[in-house]
Amino acid sequence: MAILTKTPKSTRPAGEPTVAVLLTWFMPGAGHLYLGRTRFALVAFVVVQGIYLLGLKLSGGMGFEFLQEELRGAFAPALAPEAGNLGALLYHLKNYGYGMPYPREFPSTVALGSMLTAASGMFNVALMCHAHFAARLPRGESRGFGSPAFAVLLTWLVPGLGHLFQGRRLRAVLVFCMIVGLVTFGTILAEGLNLSRERHYYYWGGQFMAGLPALLPELFGGGKAVSSHIPYGEAGLVIASVAGLLNIQTMLDVYGFGERQEFGGGAAADESKAGASAQETGA
Amino acid sequence: MNDLVIHLCLFGLISAVIVMMSAFFTETEDGAALKSFPRRLLHFLVGCGILTGLMLAVEATLASV
Repeated sequence: MAILTKTPKSTRPAGEPTVAVLLTWFMPGAGHLYLGRTRFALVAFVVVQGIYLLGLKLSGGMGFEFLQEELRGAFAPALAPEAGNLGALLYHLKNYGYGMPYPREFPSTVALGSMLTAASGMFNVALMCHAHFAARLPRGESRGFGSPAFAVLLTWLVPGLGHLFQGRRLRAVLVFCMIVGLVTFGTILAEGLNLSRERHYYYWGGQFMAGLPALLPELFGGGKAVSSHIPYGEAGLVIASVAGLLNIQTMLDVYGFGERQEFGGGAAADESKAGASAQETGA
Repeated sequence: MNDLVIHLCLFGLISAVIVMMSAFFTETEDGAALKSFPRRLLHFLVGCGILTGLMLAVEATLASV
């Protein structure tokens, strides 16, 4: 008599998370290719690199020319959000760098273009999170939008949205009020002075991390000329930038929560272990 | 003087947000994060106060021209 046995599903992780993350950092999609997810890798590559290329086209590759002469070091662009997409950043630096040795006029779409190259960096960061998470899952399994990487992306776009997606409503409301409130307050205090990458390259990089609440006002009313002294302009600039940097912390919180939900670990795991050992002792 | 008060208020505001975010990052439970907020804020402000005192002392001594 034939005995029918069901092959147990592999519980081995799909790959090494660090390798998947590093590969994705250098080339969007490469980490997923390593994990055997060819179709996802191709789509990710086309979307993330496509956004960077579109940004390069619109800005004429002049994004790094916003940097003042004295700041144009070899590693200066490493602090820009574009650093999230290392391969594209290196391509950008190699082919365009800091431009010609004489002044040139920026194209009219330079702000939108440099915003897109920066956004490509952030999209690749979300992709790196996805690769890290996918590498820890058993081979052949995926979580789709249930991956914490999606929540990370939502948190970048609108602070608090990732928490809301994870069902943490109170935290979502508080994070939204504090970060979006701080960006808005900083922008009002600076009278919109902060809404220009050309004017404040590095502060803009910080503020960019707050996502749409910082980017939409810039798209529709940024880069205005300053015609008078703004008393608390610099304070507003710092406040908006700090708000963006704090959003990085909330993105880490969202990702950590998502991983703990899937794999356990951290305080939650410690508590359950303590509960189990207490039960054993009691028995 | 008025300018100093405004700057202190701005610092207080941004400190509150920084501390709240760090509480959320450290504590998984919202209740625990909110409960620890006053203690954390006090520590942060006292730490910043000590740092300011040190910087002023250095400015008045070692770095004075």
